[in-house]
Amino acid sequence: MSPEGQKRIGKALAFNNLYTVILALAFGVVLATAALVAYKCYFQYGTIFKIPQ
Amino acid sequence: MSTLTKILIILLTVSSIFLCGVVVTYVGNADNYRQKYNSIRNERDSLDKKVDALTKQINKNISEKQQVEDKLNEKIASLKAKTAELESKLEDAEREKAILLQKVDSWTSITRDFYETNDKQGQLLKNTLAELNKVQAEQIKQKKELDETTTALVEKMAIIETLESKTKRLLEEKSELQSRLDKMLRPFGKATAETAPVTPPIDTVRPAATETKGIGLQGLVTEVDLKNSLAGISLGAADGVKEGMRFHVSRGDEFLCDILIIDVDSKKSVGVLELVQQNPQIGDNVATNL
Repeated sequence: MSPEGQKRIGKALAFNNLYTVILALAFGVVLATAALVAYKCYFQYGTIFKIPQ
Repeated sequence: MSTLTKILIILLTVSSIFLCGVVVTYVGNADNYRQKYNSIRNERDSLDKKVDALTKQINKNISEKQQVEDKLNEKIASLKAKTAELESKLEDAEREKAILLQKVDSWTSITRDFYETNDKQGQLLKNTLAELNKVQAEQIKQKKELDETTTALVEKMAIIETLESKTKRLLEEKSELQSRLDKMLRPFGKATAETAPVTPPIDTVRPAATETKGIGLQGLVTEVDLKNSLAGISLGAADGVKEGMRFHVSRGDEFLCDILIIDVDSKKSVGVLELVQQNPQIGDNVATNL
């Protein structure tokens, strides 16, 4: 068992903030893209999920 | 954290960024179809309005065209009527033209005949003038002869007067000698006898008496034209009738009028009524002698 496995049992702590930042960045990019797509869909078609008639 | 996890995190992040970039690029470059739809719809609405306006304009133009067509049809009908009338007038004019051309031809022939007659009359006039000149020359010649004859006659008359005076004086001397001879012979109881002249007396020239006889033509009145004072008789040139003869018309013992013949045919004649006492009728007697 590695000490890293021991830490996972208790409170999950990021042991390397670099990869966490990278994941956060990826999540933020995806979220911003989804927001942009929703914004575009709403203002161009008037709805987000429906197919405009 | 294992290396694989790290690699997966890196790959996940890179792929997420890549895909998100693709999506953002696509969405950013995507067309705004709603705006296009609205603009196209507005354009369609404006085009519909234009179509309505143009339709109204077309209908208006069609109605105006119909009115103009009706007016033009009326004008065409009136022009056709005028054309027919003008054609009839043209036919009348052509007919009159043909008649006038015939008249012109007839007048041309008449004028030509007139010119020919005029030329003949001119030639006849020239001949007559030549004859007149000859006659005048002969007249002058005869006038000279007449003057000479008159002069000779005057001389002869003077001689005759001289001879008459001599004859008168001789007669006076004869009567004086006769009276002297009677005075000388009376004592002897004798007298001179009447002596007959040796030269017979010359008698004056008298016209020979002409004997006349009646023609004795008798016929009937065949035609009477009281309006023009003309009458026709049943006698003609074959019976010896000549222009200028006078016939007496009678009915029984009653004298009606005279007919002076002015035109003679072979078996009938026409004359003018003169001295009309009563109007003649067809069947009345005509005769040259009453």
